[in-house]
Amino acid sequence: MVAFPPVFGMSAAVVGLATIVAPLAAFLLLGLLRPLRATGTPAAAVAIVAALVSTACAFALVFAGAPREAVADLTVPWLVSAGQTWATLGVYLDATSVPMLAVVTLVGLCVQVYSLGYLHDEPKESFGRYYAFHSLFLVAMLLLVVAKDLLQLFVGWELVGLASYLLIGFWWQKPSAARAAVKAFWLTKLADIGLGAAIVVLYVQTHALDWSPATVQALGPAGATLVAALLFVAVMGKSAQFPLHVWLPDAMEGPTPVSALLHAATMVAAGVYLLVRAWPIFDAAPDVRLAMAWIGAFTGLFASVVACAQTDIKKVLAYSTCAQLGYMVAAAGAGAIDAAYAHLIGHAAFKALLFLGAGCLIHAVHSNELADMGGLLRRLKFSGGAFIVGALALGLYPSKELVLAGVGHAGLQGPLVLLLAAAGLTAFYMTRSVLLALFGPASAHADHAHEAPASMLAPVLLLALLSVAGFALFDSVAPVLVAVRERPHSWLGHIAHGLALAGFAVGFALYGPRRRDALALPGVRAGLAFVRAAAVDRAFQAAYRMGLLAFSRSVAWVDRYLIDGVMNLSAFASQSGAERARRIQTGKTYDYLTAVVAGLLLLAVASVYAR
Amino acid sequence: MPVQPWLLLGAALFALGVYGVLTRRNAIGVLVAIELMANAVNLNLAVFSRLHGNLHGQAFALFGLALTVAEVAVGLSIVILLHRSHRSVRVGAASELKG
Repeated sequence: MVAFPPVFGMSAAVVGLATIVAPLAAFLLLGLLRPLRATGTPAAAVAIVAALVSTACAFALVFAGAPREAVADLTVPWLVSAGQTWATLGVYLDATSVPMLAVVTLVGLCVQVYSLGYLHDEPKESFGRYYAFHSLFLVAMLLLVVAKDLLQLFVGWELVGLASYLLIGFWWQKPSAARAAVKAFWLTKLADIGLGAAIVVLYVQTHALDWSPATVQALGPAGATLVAALLFVAVMGKSAQFPLHVWLPDAMEGPTPVSALLHAATMVAAGVYLLVRAWPIFDAAPDVRLAMAWIGAFTGLFASVVACAQTDIKKVLAYSTCAQLGYMVAAAGAGAIDAAYAHLIGHAAFKALLFLGAGCLIHAVHSNELADMGGLLRRLKFSGGAFIVGALALGLYPSKELVLAGVGHAGLQGPLVLLLAAAGLTAFYMTRSVLLALFGPASAHADHAHEAPASMLAPVLLLALLSVAGFALFDSVAPVLVAVRERPHSWLGHIAHGLALAGFAVGFALYGPRRRDALALPGVRAGLAFVRAAAVDRAFQAAYRMGLLAFSRSVAWVDRYLIDGVMNLSAFASQSGAERARRIQTGKTYDYLTAVVAGLLLLAVASVYAR
Repeated sequence: MPVQPWLLLGAALFALGVYGVLTRRNAIGVLVAIELMANAVNLNLAVFSRLHGNLHGQAFALFGLALTVAEVAVGLSIVILLHRSHRSVRVGAASELKG
């Protein structure tokens, strides 16, 4: 085992621990000290300083110059049974967890700074609450990333789900936001049953909870398939894969920075991270990987189609996130785990950029609807420009070629075709969003739009810079960061680029100078009405009504008429019996005396005859 | 000495007392009937004392008389309280225990 080089003159694992401890301290301060939380901006400063410390530590680890196989392990035994440690708690740094640490902390920091401007109209108390939740999210996500085994990962996994629930429902006064929060919570919990079951199966079969090759060996092929399938159910929920994706578009009810951090860049990518992290298990389960490739590719195409029909800029981006997560899952399914990870990291940068840019537009016109925007580039040069950079990155990012090459290399023609179609559609719907929001005639709202404050622009421009740098330096950065192989200059890359350019061109033709609504084209509307996500949503609603509600109704019937019936019957019997029995008590002394004498006589007679 | 007539007298007195307790509606009448029952018991004690030829029964009868006096004192004070609270010495006047 190669040791990690020291960072800041300290052991690398301690620095890794510091990335978690800083936001944890911020969360405890803000969570426990209500007066501090109620101060608003100072409370935000506490969280941001903690995120800054975290980011600095994470980047120091990235730039420590560690060899790829270096490992830093600072874990304590957590659950010890029969002398065997089967779960640990602590920090485990290696080539997989360190890049993710950097992504999570940096996007977290950007979003926290951005929120200073975006939410400055909030009451101070809820502003502090918002930052407490953000710190909780960072703690949970980092706990997940540095986990050495499934149990700690599970803890982090559930905690990010909680943070997601809290932040989606941040504006809980809005019924739609409260509903969306509950929906996201329940759907991901439904999927998390898979993760819990996988942990149980893994423990029963191997008495270990990690993903080391030795554990996979002990698991056997059938066990590995079962565990991988169960884990993948959880991944589908967390990473919004069809048909468990329906919570993600609704999660856009949360504040836009939350959507950028949790529901685009990091939390939803936790599913893909699990695929990368526990890769030995998935590697041993080819059947599950085939299903992954198909589901991921289908999600990629399906969500891209649906994104074309959205009128809400955040919904467009949400479906786009579903689609890009589908790319990553498909890549993992094809065995191109480096491509999946590279796409995860690139996507985190440019999708956070897109969301934060969209947040600037929303902030300017106070509406999510594309129809309320239009012509915004004239007034919002920086944030509009950053949004265009993000859209270009989404359409053309090099890691997409890696994904396609991986899927093609694995000989999965079906998923490959789906993903290629999705690549073209991605370029089309991003062109549509850009042209509708930033160009064309200005809407009534856009006339008095103003550029975002510096606190919002700085993170947006930083992310734009990172996206451009990632784009330009991909071939030199990606191999170092995630060990991608040589970027294949295959015909697939050319086809993908061609399709993307075609998508841009069609989008420009439809929404350009001679703006036409693609939805009005014959045939398109009918087709879209079918796929407008409503179908899946309705299926879930029907399943919810027919399954869950019918079940709860039958339980309610049993409770109301059988269990309560027995209770009511016994209550009625004792009540009416008592009603009759109370008449014995006349209150008249001579009645009691008569009873006493009668009793005496009875006893006397009995004593005579009982001999 | 034949004891049978005396025992019959005692039983008759006791039965009379029970009848009086059950039928009298006047609390004082009930008390008197109770006295009758108590004295039937005393008569029995005295009779058996003579039968066995010792004084145990008669000594018990004397204690019984003393107890009866105390009982009458308590009983009469209950009657007075009954009269105060219900303006009546009828036994049926007090029916607070009615369910």
